[in-house]
Amino acid sequence: MASHAKIAELFARQLFKLSMVGGAVSPEQVAGVLEYVEKHRPANPVVVLKAYHRFVAAELAKSEAVVEHAGAVNDAMLAAIAAAMTRQYGRPVVATAKPSAALIAGLRVRVGDDVYESSVAGQLAALASAV
Amino acid sequence: MSTVLEQIEQQIAKLSSKGVKKNTGNIRTIADGVAKIDGLSDVMYNEMVQFPGNAIGIALNLEEDEVGCVILGDISNLKEGDEVTTTGRLLSVPVGKVLLGRTVDALGNPVDGKGPIDAKEFYPVERIAPGVVVRKSVSQALFTGIMAIDSMIPIGRGQRELIIGDRGTGKTTITIDTIINQARINRVGLASGDPKFRPVYSIYVAVGQKNSNIARTITALEAAGALEFTTIVAAPAADNPANLYLAPYSGAAMGEWFMENGMDALIVYDDLSKHAVAYRQISLILKRPSGREAYPGDVFYLHSRLLERAARLEGKGSLTALPIIETLAGDVSAYISTNVISITDGQIFLETDLFNQGIRPAISVGLSVSRVGSAAQIKATKQVGGKLKGELAQFRELAAFAQFGSDLDAKTKAQLDRGNRIVELFKQPAFSPLPIELQVAVLFAMQKGFFESIDIRKVVDAAASLKSFFTTRKDALLVEIRTKGALDAELEAKLQAACDEWKSSFAA
Repeated sequence: MASHAKIAELFARQLFKLSMVGGAVSPEQVAGVLEYVEKHRPANPVVVLKAYHRFVAAELAKSEAVVEHAGAVNDAMLAAIAAAMTRQYGRPVVATAKPSAALIAGLRVRVGDDVYESSVAGQLAALASAV
Repeated sequence: MSTVLEQIEQQIAKLSSKGVKKNTGNIRTIADGVAKIDGLSDVMYNEMVQFPGNAIGIALNLEEDEVGCVILGDISNLKEGDEVTTTGRLLSVPVGKVLLGRTVDALGNPVDGKGPIDAKEFYPVERIAPGVVVRKSVSQALFTGIMAIDSMIPIGRGQRELIIGDRGTGKTTITIDTIINQARINRVGLASGDPKFRPVYSIYVAVGQKNSNIARTITALEAAGALEFTTIVAAPAADNPANLYLAPYSGAAMGEWFMENGMDALIVYDDLSKHAVAYRQISLILKRPSGREAYPGDVFYLHSRLLERAARLEGKGSLTALPIIETLAGDVSAYISTNVISITDGQIFLETDLFNQGIRPAISVGLSVSRVGSAAQIKATKQVGGKLKGELAQFRELAAFAQFGSDLDAKTKAQLDRGNRIVELFKQPAFSPLPIELQVAVLFAMQKGFFESIDIRKVVDAAASLKSFFTTRKDALLVEIRTKGALDAELEAKLQAACDEWKSSFAA
């Protein structure tokens, strides 16, 4: 017999599937789902909504390239990254800049689970693990 | 100097690549050495994943939303939300002769304080077992040095022979004796300069054993000079279940290197009962469906894929496996026992009652079998011990039956008397394996009735005296038996004469 957490997770996944239109998260559908949950509260609403939030966030992250940078990044560079990632993943990807001094120099681009590392901090970490 | 600079330049070249793609995830929960991870959408089954702080894990459960990983190493610094990355590599361990004489953990890291291991090659821990085409039938003997086994339940190179029995019945001792015997044979063979001689290297995998027991085993092997031909893979009871689960596969990978490179190796899994328990623990934490005795459904595959890796390969070497299973109250029909019995090519069953009666090794002849049989025996052993198993099994039946009646006919009395003598003759102290030529000499003396007139209580002393007589005074004859491997009329006459000489001196 499935546990309460597992049942909540399954329910959240069903809600997540309802939130997708044409392979992308639809804001209208999300609003509809939230309204439904408000009206018909499930057994563990917080657990369901947390799992739902995780699924939606993971899906949205696939369409966003977060560009962490330690130096200056201009709009042209962001546009080039967005275009490259759109080609790579076959879906529209938007690039957003996020300054990070911890990188020392270079870039780190995160799209969903994938991380493209081209920073001095990353190279130093690789060197440290190789020694 | 230039080599040093080249090394640095290579390192720089590696690091100055334009960008590295990593697939990442985050720890959602972590407990009992198992982590549930969000993300890792590109991870492969059994792939190594990198946790912070140099801890590594293996992806065992690939689910729709999460990945279940067992963690190898220190988990005390890991916490929820930590980033985990894929490595694109399967777990591998160092292999080769550099591991001989060393004690390593389940990942091949040295734990004996003898410095780092400079391994040139690495083998994946999980490998598909050799197929039917490359396999060759088992026909070369692997001498354990235990007379009862070599004469009645022979083991061949490439065979899987289970050693099963209750706790404290001498299962580990049999395997240690076997390892010591291989080392002794290796030394003699290598010293002889015979180009056809094939040494047997040993791997002892301790799964869930007490550290004190492992230390004792290492000391015994060292004292017998066998450690230089042996690698010990230690996953003691205090280790995390992931290491206990992996240790036999790591040992198998180390053994496979010898087999693949045209050498012979022996691997001992001590023991697979604890291995199954460790796997059950991991499976339950991973929330895999449980079946009989709460073991997961693939517990048979757990052991079958491990033991199938032992084989004799066409044109290459062999890997012989001696798995150990611990029974409870002598119950061989338990779940894990029957699984492993059905996978192996025979079993040596040790009985608590026999052990307590002082019959050591406490081998139950009726329940022990080698499915390879006499194919893995030299001709000399077949000549002197071919009928022993039947005789001894018959004796045990008769002995049990004779307890109910006092009037026995002369024939039955003679059978019982002979059986008792054989039992006495097969008694052998721990860590003192007998060379096969000496076994042949003792069995020859027994077959020719040299022990018939000796009081049963003195048979053990007589056998010791005979062994001492042969080793000290008839060394040339022993060498002849070893080199010929069969008894011809001339050799039989020499043996007869030697036994006569011993008998006269012993009686005197």
